[in-house]
Amino acid sequence: MRAIIKSGFLFLMCAVACAGASAQLQICPPRPQPGTLVVNPLNLYSQNGVLSVNLTLQNQLGSDGFMHYCYVYLNQGQQVEAPTLRLNPGDRLELNLTDNIQAPYNRYPPKMTMHMTVPHRPGAKPGDPCNGGMIMPSTTNLHFHGLNVPPVCHQDDVIYTLIQSGDPPFNYDVQIPANDNPGMYWYHPHAHGFATTQVDGGAAGALIVEGNIPGTQGLPERVFVIRQQFNNPNSWLPGPNQLTVNFQPAIFPERQSPYINMQYNQPEFWRIVNASTQAFLTLQVQFTAGVQQLEVVALDGVPLQTPIYQTEVDIPPAGRAEIVVPGIPQDQEGVVMTNGFDTGPVGNPNSPQQLIKIFGTDNQKLKVHPAPPPAKPPADRPRFAGLLTQTPTTNRSLYFSEQTVGSNGPTQYFLTVNGQKPHVFHMDDPPAITTNIGAVEDWTIENRSGEAHAFHIHQLHFLLMAINGVPVQNPELYDTFTIPNWSGSGPYPSITVRMDFRDPQIAGTFVYHCHILDHEDGGMMAKIQVNPANN
Amino acid sequence: MKKRFLLMVMGTFALSLLASAGEKTKTPDSPIYVMTNDDGQLHSYASFYQAGGSQGAPTLTYLTSVNTQGLGIGGGFFGTPRLAMLPSSSAQCLYVSDASSGDIAAIDIQTQQLVGNFAGSSNDNGTSNGIGLAMNQSYLYAGYTLSNTIATFSVGAGCQLTFLGDITVTPLNGGWVAGMALNGNILVVTYIDGSIQSFNISNGIPLSNNDEQNATGFASAFFPDAVDITQDGHFAIFADSAIATTVEVSDISSGKLMPTVMYTLGDAARSITLAVNSATVRLSPDQSLIYIGNSQSGTVTAAYFNKNTGKVLPGCTSKQLNNFYNPWSYIGELATRDTTGTGNVLYAAEFGSSIAIINVNVTTPLCTLTEAVSSPIGDDFSPGLLSIQVFPPRPF
Repeated sequence: MRAIIKSGFLFLMCAVACAGASAQLQICPPRPQPGTLVVNPLNLYSQNGVLSVNLTLQNQLGSDGFMHYCYVYLNQGQQVEAPTLRLNPGDRLELNLTDNIQAPYNRYPPKMTMHMTVPHRPGAKPGDPCNGGMIMPSTTNLHFHGLNVPPVCHQDDVIYTLIQSGDPPFNYDVQIPANDNPGMYWYHPHAHGFATTQVDGGAAGALIVEGNIPGTQGLPERVFVIRQQFNNPNSWLPGPNQLTVNFQPAIFPERQSPYINMQYNQPEFWRIVNASTQAFLTLQVQFTAGVQQLEVVALDGVPLQTPIYQTEVDIPPAGRAEIVVPGIPQDQEGVVMTNGFDTGPVGNPNSPQQLIKIFGTDNQKLKVHPAPPPAKPPADRPRFAGLLTQTPTTNRSLYFSEQTVGSNGPTQYFLTVNGQKPHVFHMDDPPAITTNIGAVEDWTIENRSGEAHAFHIHQLHFLLMAINGVPVQNPELYDTFTIPNWSGSGPYPSITVRMDFRDPQIAGTFVYHCHILDHEDGGMMAKIQVNPANN
Repeated sequence: MKKRFLLMVMGTFALSLLASAGEKTKTPDSPIYVMTNDDGQLHSYASFYQAGGSQGAPTLTYLTSVNTQGLGIGGGFFGTPRLAMLPSSSAQCLYVSDASSGDIAAIDIQTQQLVGNFAGSSNDNGTSNGIGLAMNQSYLYAGYTLSNTIATFSVGAGCQLTFLGDITVTPLNGGWVAGMALNGNILVVTYIDGSIQSFNISNGIPLSNNDEQNATGFASAFFPDAVDITQDGHFAIFADSAIATTVEVSDISSGKLMPTVMYTLGDAARSITLAVNSATVRLSPDQSLIYIGNSQSGTVTAAYFNKNTGKVLPGCTSKQLNNFYNPWSYIGELATRDTTGTGNVLYAAEFGSSIAIINVNVTTPLCTLTEAVSSPIGDDFSPGLLSIQVFPPRPF
């Protein structure tokens, strides 16, 4: 694999050298070269309670040999990729998304191009992007990952909302709940069957709900969006791939790592989203003096009740971690590593990798994490308040499993409610679970497969109650959580989570799935229908 | 006693005379070889083992490994047969596919020497999941998983092959050619995507029987992987990649595939730990049993089969095999030791580097599959063993 990567870089060097000679039509903004300074994505702030943004999703084979899918924002006439959207609780996000995805969709076109049809809603107009229809490689939509917002078209519906290339700009109008937690969320496409290709190409960005996260005020803030790009995202063999940090390849030692300059002795506030398609990050910060204790202040967009101090922070695909990093001592250097993760005997390699090189400096100015917004009286208690003491109305058991036709795959992926038949998800499936607004449910989710999975549900966070049947001491809220592989004998690894369906805003039908995106695209997903309270 | 001994000696002498007169005819005392396609990426070998031991305590003894002079890929589809020989004790030649280098290696079974390597067309490519083989007296067919081509070779003297031509197959749901089996004038293939097809091979190069179809299991996302055919050519039996042990049977007596009848031999929820992914299948020599490799759970199943009606009834499933390479490695092809009855001993290719040895005991209606104490034995040259054959082979 290294050899392939190396040859890829020869190609890259040639491509860079030749770039001046051949004026290629610039569809996606150029991405930073390896070994350069990591800068925060462009921040876009809401004003007067509204953030209006126009994004265009388009694609282009990059000079690095990877197919780029870019959310393009025009900033004073300049193309900027995947800005960070920053809003306060209660603000509205008006996002106009234009789909300009064009063939070729991949560097290596898949042998089989999947087309899937989402049944039209009864009585809906043909051609309406809220009306289902064909999902093709050029189809897209948006999921606001982690936001606890309604599963309806123009907000956060990924079942019926299908935007086709060439459609007029599609308007998302999302109100951040006034009582939502401050923290880091993210946005990405969720067109079933093609989410892997588009996210792998870079279609992902951070979304931050401003607010008070204790211990972070006044600290310099960094936003890291960790992505992953595969040479061939459609191959069921993992193949050459690389992690990127704010679009900069982290491929040390083939090339220098992306780097940052930290002011000596100045702690910093880092907000990290794992926007990779399948990498489990195990982050560690090492200074010359040794491995650093990190203060984890928020996970998956929710401030922790009390900070957790760890030397390694695990972030599953789609997870977020917000941490306070100690200041680098005078005259020291450091690195940010991902230490590797055992995905299990049939999981894909998840090797250690140096992500960022850290240099100390006396002169570093970063924008600081702002103080909390002017105090709006909290409209309600914080989201999910009191969930721990609720008595569950229902208990359910679910499990991940897989079957494959050969040692190299391809694999069929299942996420099944115990007692139902394992089934590769199709968009026209009926809901696997039906419940009502007001319900509080405990779900035990097992992993019966030989590789790790990352459980995720849309529209709400869940409270992690137990791991492998052992109660968690301080349950916290998550929207994505890892379940390790089954070893082949003994009990299945499991998590027990408490689902909160009390908020009437989330009535509707939405999905839960594995957030390893090729598992999701491969069918490891199901629908849940939450009926209004009066049903 | 003496008389009986004398008769036995005379009989043995007579048989050995027959053997020397009739080319390569095997006597009952001839060694039983278990042969593997080791499918190595750097060097690929076919390894030979000799069956031995006593009743209930079978063993395998390593003999040699023949360098195929080609390269393998160390894995691929479970149901793709990577070894072929004539179903006769007079078979001379073992054909071994080299998935990476794309050729077919021919090996003399008795001398265990490489005879030569034979390639199809430049379009043929099996580098993704292997090259499946099936043969009769006149032709050898090679299914290339990546190019979705089936090459036809004529079989000549001295194990020589001559490439005749290719056909390209078009699976219904975007799959690839995987399982292959032939009987008389019919070649049956699986495409891993739920679709199956048969071909008329009476003139050598396969001609579609225009019966390509989705197997019944397709609706349940059960995909036929390996295939076997009854001795009389009446039924084709497909092993499904499925969440429970599942086989499908198609009546092919008309020369075409009829819609399959699906038999799920266990409760899905319960069997997920016992018998998931029944990807490989092998009829017993007397066709009373279907042996099924539950690829992803490290078990094998025997199901009762009625060769007259094609009906399948549940039988028994082994415990998870000893020292299985690891719980999430796989079981590949199956083969029986003996050429009559149930075969008595079953060999299972264990993906990775080992061969399982399983005793078969049937006292109708009960059966047991019990792994031998000596099992498994290492197949040290294989990084991804999936294919295994026994010589002398089952007679069909």
